[in-house]
Amino acid sequence: MSHSLVYLDHAATTPVRTEVLEAMLPWFSTRFGNPSSTHRLGREARVALDEARERVAATLGAHPDEVCFTSCGTESDNFGVIGAWRAQRAGGRHAVLSTPIEHKAVLAACHQVVREGGTERFVPVSRDGVVDTDAFGALCDDALAVASVMWVNNEVGVVQDVPALTAQAKVAGALMHTDAVQAFGKIAFDLRTLPVDLLTISGHKLGAPKGVGALFIRRGVTLEPLLHGGSQDRGRRPGTENVPYAVGLAVACELAVAEREAEVAHLAALRERLESRLLAGMPDAVIHARGATRAPHVTNVSIPGTDAETLLMALDLRGIQASGGSACQSGAVGHSHVLEAMGVAPEIASGAMRLSLGKLSDEVGIDRAADVIVTLARKARGLAAV
Amino acid sequence: MSERVLVAMSGGVDSSVTAALLQEQGYDVVGVTMKLHDDGADVPDKPCCSLDATSDARRVCEQLGVPHYVLNLVDVFTRDVFDDFVREYAEGRTPIPCVRCNTFTKFRDLVAKADAIDARWIATGHYGRLDTRDGERVLLRGRDPLKDQSYFLWGIPRPVLDRLLLPVGDWTKEETRAAARRFGLRTANKPESMDICFVPHGDHVAILQEHLPADAPALQRGAVVTEDGRVLGEHEGFARFTVGQRKGLPGGAGEPMFVLEIRPHTREVVVGPRDALARSSVAASQVNWLAPVPAVGRAVEVQVRHRGAHVPATILRADADGIDVALGERVHGVAPGQSLVLYDGDVVLGGGIITRAGRGALPVLAA
Repeated sequence: MSHSLVYLDHAATTPVRTEVLEAMLPWFSTRFGNPSSTHRLGREARVALDEARERVAATLGAHPDEVCFTSCGTESDNFGVIGAWRAQRAGGRHAVLSTPIEHKAVLAACHQVVREGGTERFVPVSRDGVVDTDAFGALCDDALAVASVMWVNNEVGVVQDVPALTAQAKVAGALMHTDAVQAFGKIAFDLRTLPVDLLTISGHKLGAPKGVGALFIRRGVTLEPLLHGGSQDRGRRPGTENVPYAVGLAVACELAVAEREAEVAHLAALRERLESRLLAGMPDAVIHARGATRAPHVTNVSIPGTDAETLLMALDLRGIQASGGSACQSGAVGHSHVLEAMGVAPEIASGAMRLSLGKLSDEVGIDRAADVIVTLARKARGLAAV
Repeated sequence: MSERVLVAMSGGVDSSVTAALLQEQGYDVVGVTMKLHDDGADVPDKPCCSLDATSDARRVCEQLGVPHYVLNLVDVFTRDVFDDFVREYAEGRTPIPCVRCNTFTKFRDLVAKADAIDARWIATGHYGRLDTRDGERVLLRGRDPLKDQSYFLWGIPRPVLDRLLLPVGDWTKEETRAAARRFGLRTANKPESMDICFVPHGDHVAILQEHLPADAPALQRGAVVTEDGRVLGEHEGFARFTVGQRKGLPGGAGEPMFVLEIRPHTREVVVGPRDALARSSVAASQVNWLAPVPAVGRAVEVQVRHRGAHVPATILRADADGIDVALGERVHGVAPGQSLVLYDGDVVLGGGIITRAGRGALPVLAA
């Protein structure tokens, strides 16, 4: 029996889009120059890089000089948190503030701040994974260097009220960073009106390749660089610029913004279809953060009496590819710090699967996935009862 | 449609060849590597163990074109194997974690995973064999006496024999390596690992120091005494010793001394000359049978340690709770906590965990 593959892991990564790949190709081969070179090939590359920066900036509502290309979302998050803290520690702002449901790139950056003598603060989240604005505000004071809250959570899809949280941080005179890796292309925003200081995006969630991201750095905000070297990107991010990847990111960002409204409506309908089929087949299935505002592409579901690791293996053998909480480097499915912070009981959390939709999703695949999940979950429960 | 087999893959040559052979024989192979412990326990954000071994298993599966998964069995392994390992040493015994890992983790918990993916079979790279005798599946010693691992397999649930495949058990290690080269497996020349997987450098005391309280009796000084009560010196904790051990004892007795007994309640390590190690009977508990329970009086062969001699013995008691055997020849160094495994020729009858060993025959239970 052969199966068509169903890919339900768009929050992990996405395929490079044809338009993106085509735009990138010349900059690998015939137009391979180093943007720092003064000759013709160098000038061409420099112009392509500047143009890519402008195009990414336009999708954010930013000035081109506010866009810093990086190697990935993790680098952007590290630069945003650690770079902002290091630049302010001499001025007495020793603290960073975040939430327990951040991506490891932000959590580990906060821990690094502690190792360097700073302090970290975490504002708890509700059972639906929502940060309370007042509780957040209470932790913003004149000792706070930077606050970092992810706009859309990568595991459960919950959306935070970033504009309100930003206002709280700004009142205290602190910088505000948001990891918008899962939000970009799903949530409309304009940095001309939203006073966030630092914002992370990542290419490979948008149809650009793995290995490129960007950090928006508002004019007037100083970060201490993580890397030390040449004067590329105003000295903020030394290292020869990755011209083809910057070009690819620009195209992917433009497509994501242009398609956003239609994509959001499409994915929301697909997710509704998926969730209602799962609940119809498994009425006691738990959809995490369901009471909160969620981005349309993620659903995180626990089926009591099953464990995600086994279910994901059985699903993959039937051609359905999804994720558990968070994978450790060995490839084992680890426990989810996000669900734990939301107060989800361990026996429910251990059954949590993240199904994330995107360009490769359609109704046929969604229906097949829902049917197979329900069948396997019923079987798993039957086995567990023996 | 071919039958599915779940192959437990450590990343070593034996399990790699197992997967390749079964695929060649037409099975629908699914490779899994069990994550059993966290090497980076002091780095909570990086709970990964034996990354390179896992990568080897994954790459072998990719080469074969079969799926591979890493299964996180840390919690159950810790509960059933690791905690028992620490507890046994704390009580003066010498455990074999591999036996409990086979009994509980591999051939119970992993079998449940096999059920979930409709795998009819489960396979490992152990050097043991399976056969049918009188209509029943039986477990046999591995063909190669140097590699035979049946001693570690006595505890597996008997029904598992009906779905167990051990394809390298017919081979010597060299034949397995030759097969690995024929298949072009990257693991063909990997060195043998003899350590317990969670005990780096064979230093079990370091593990105990980490996991027992600082004032645990097993790690406190105690007396080294002779059987007649003479104190020969001090030791640094009885968990450092096993019955039959010579290393680490005070000298000056005029002849080589060996550990005869560990007395956890007084922290005494009892020593004596080699002759005093000789035992004529062995008792075991936590019993499992892989064949019909042998009758009292039946002649069998027993083995009381890995790579130990095959010793003729007579059954004094054999039931669901215990085994007593009279040894046909004296055996030196029988350590409580090790396994007593009973054989009829090559067939594994069953086994248990050694509780004591006597110089004379144990009393026969009243019928």
